[in-house]
Amino acid sequence: MRSVSKTQTNGRPEPLSPERLAELRRPARYKTPEEKRAALKRATEGLRVKVRVTPDMYGRR
Amino acid sequence: MAPARGRPTATRGVFAVEEPELLLPDPLALDTSFVVEALIATQPLHAVCRAFLNRIDESGVSITTSDLLAVELAEAAFAIALKERWGSRWRRHRTDGRARRRGSRLLDDTISRYETLLLSTDHIPVPVGETASAARSFMTKYGLASYDAVHAASAVAAGAKAMVTIDAGFALLPSSLLTVYTDRSRLASCRSKRPR
Repeated sequence: MRSVSKTQTNGRPEPLSPERLAELRRPARYKTPEEKRAALKRATEGLRVKVRVTPDMYGRR
Repeated sequence: MAPARGRPTATRGVFAVEEPELLLPDPLALDTSFVVEALIATQPLHAVCRAFLNRIDESGVSITTSDLLAVELAEAAFAIALKERWGSRWRRHRTDGRARRRGSRLLDDTISRYETLLLSTDHIPVPVGETASAARSFMTKYGLASYDAVHAASAVAAGAKAMVTIDAGFALLPSSLLTVYTDRSRLASCRSKRPR
């Protein structure tokens, strides 16, 4: 398994290699401003719930 | 108007997403707390987080997330269904099958919206298994909670310089590791948490 287990001398974990990052990267499907606006609207409009979502509801303190 | 006295406030690597001049580094890491507010219209910071997503889209920067994010969204969806049915006693009814249908619908809706969100920008999803060692290090060195540590380690692994979050726990990391982008109301608490 690939891992970011190595630590640089400044205490910062080493990032994944450029090759691995290129493997992971998924290019945007929507390119034009109109497509992006429409996608953002679909993603963020209309999902209404009856309670307030607090961090403990997804496992945070 | 007289100039303000004293030193300007130290930012300590914590900035408000409402700030119009805020620069967006590439890639930019997103945390679950920000995505929850952006996706769910009834959340108090929905408008702020949605507006910032719009800025991300327009800027053309790529985003990076931990694969843990989708799991946390699923957890939130089922917790919403339980809380809607049981109120503050929802934790005691985790195995209540009557909330599962609503939970499943919410889960499908939430994940579908999250995936739609990711299609507008280049996206670097980081597998949890590739960040375990760094996450442990962030927990032991800086006292981060486990999920925060996984998200922070993912961000660093992907080369992100900033985390967009409404969870002040990320400010336990030194600013040299990760800049925190949060909503204006959390600036002071995040800055006070930064290690000196």
